[in-house]
Amino acid sequence: MGFEKARGALTRLISVSIICMGFAQVAPAGMIGTGYLLEDESRAASISRMDILLARADVARQLEAFGVDRAMVMERLDALSTAELLELEGKLDSQVAGGDIIALIGAVFVVLLILELVGVTDIFKSF
Amino acid sequence: MFRAQRVFDGSRLLPALLVLVTGCASIPPSVSELPAPGGSIELEDTPFYPQERYQCGPAALTTVLVKSGATVSLDEIVDKVYLPGRQGSLQFELLAAVRTEGRLPYQVDGTLDAIWRELEAGRPVLVLQNLGVAAIPSWHYAVVIGIDAGRGEIVLRSGTDRRRVTRIRTFLHTWRRGDYWGIVVLEPDELPATADRSRYFEAIAALEQTGRAEEAAVAWRTALGNWPGDTVALFGLANALFALRDYRAAEEAYRDLLERDGGAVVARNNLALALAEQGRYDAALQEIGVALSQSRDAALERELRDTEATIQRRKAGGQ
Repeated sequence: MGFEKARGALTRLISVSIICMGFAQVAPAGMIGTGYLLEDESRAASISRMDILLARADVARQLEAFGVDRAMVMERLDALSTAELLELEGKLDSQVAGGDIIALIGAVFVVLLILELVGVTDIFKSF
Repeated sequence: MFRAQRVFDGSRLLPALLVLVTGCASIPPSVSELPAPGGSIELEDTPFYPQERYQCGPAALTTVLVKSGATVSLDEIVDKVYLPGRQGSLQFELLAAVRTEGRLPYQVDGTLDAIWRELEAGRPVLVLQNLGVAAIPSWHYAVVIGIDAGRGEIVLRSGTDRRRVTRIRTFLHTWRRGDYWGIVVLEPDELPATADRSRYFEAIAALEQTGRAEEAAVAWRTALGNWPGDTVALFGLANALFALRDYRAAEEAYRDLLERDGGAVVARNNLALALAEQGRYDAALQEIGVALSQSRDAALERELRDTEATIQRRKAGGQ
């Protein structure tokens, strides 16, 4: 048990430092990105590099927790923009995940069937 | 989880049920917005990737990517966007995956007209539908490949259906519950059929942030073709050239911008860095001096001081 715990902590430590390296490649020191002009100025100025680093670490952890293969986590992280990272931070579980997930029970089924027949929903041939 | 077929004729039930649904069945206004009321269009050459369970996201995304000319397999896209623990795919990750293929994801206006125009330009539209209702959502990604306005039908690559035909009315109900979210995949030198400047620019800036400088440069040039002299687009182009280490060209673009807007402090900061990269430290420090005299923002001023210190260090080190 103790060993497992220590290994877990070490893995986390290593993954955080890899994340830092990945970030460093994106923007040269001192450069102000184009996003600055697109964001509301006060908001743009209030987003620090540390905020972005923390968001990356958090989203990485969530991706892994939701079953993304370790080897893919970094690649998926790198493809997200700053705004997307900040948007996803702490919220991966509440985002819409398109995938036809539906659990139906009795009365609900009947209501949906009715809505389907009058063209409000479109569930029953979809998966 | 189950499959069901329409096994009986529902029309006899209709009169009795109308009362039930009026509350949620208001028709979105976009039906009447179609440019060609009786016309039809269908991109028949759109490829089809039937989805595996829960994987409508990867299937729909591969469809639009391959249509735009990307060489990518469904398996690769599954690795990039499928989230096993959520049995689905996030919208943000679909956008992200488009960028990794060197393309630009653009969110279209939430109207039938916008879909029609993209189809006319040869681009199918990936849409998020909620096939259920708000309280019992069934989120689904599909690809609109055609509209038959005369018959009031919309054609989709959806799930395991190569050609799913849905009434426009019904589609609009399901799309509305998906917040009218729809994207097209653009090559960097393509403009959206109906380009909203700020949404389009944000999409290009995201390319820059994810290390896709080459594609970003092409996209900013394309934007400048449509919005000549736009200072944000010029800033974007200059930054992309900087990231590509073409400091001379970046310098030129920053100067072009500053000629149009002499008070663009952020552009002057980056211009100074582009000059420093060329070993022209004195000119760089002079630009920072000008920027500092113009800056009215404390956070920005800190950035400028940092840049100044960096350049001074490099000057002293002679590197």
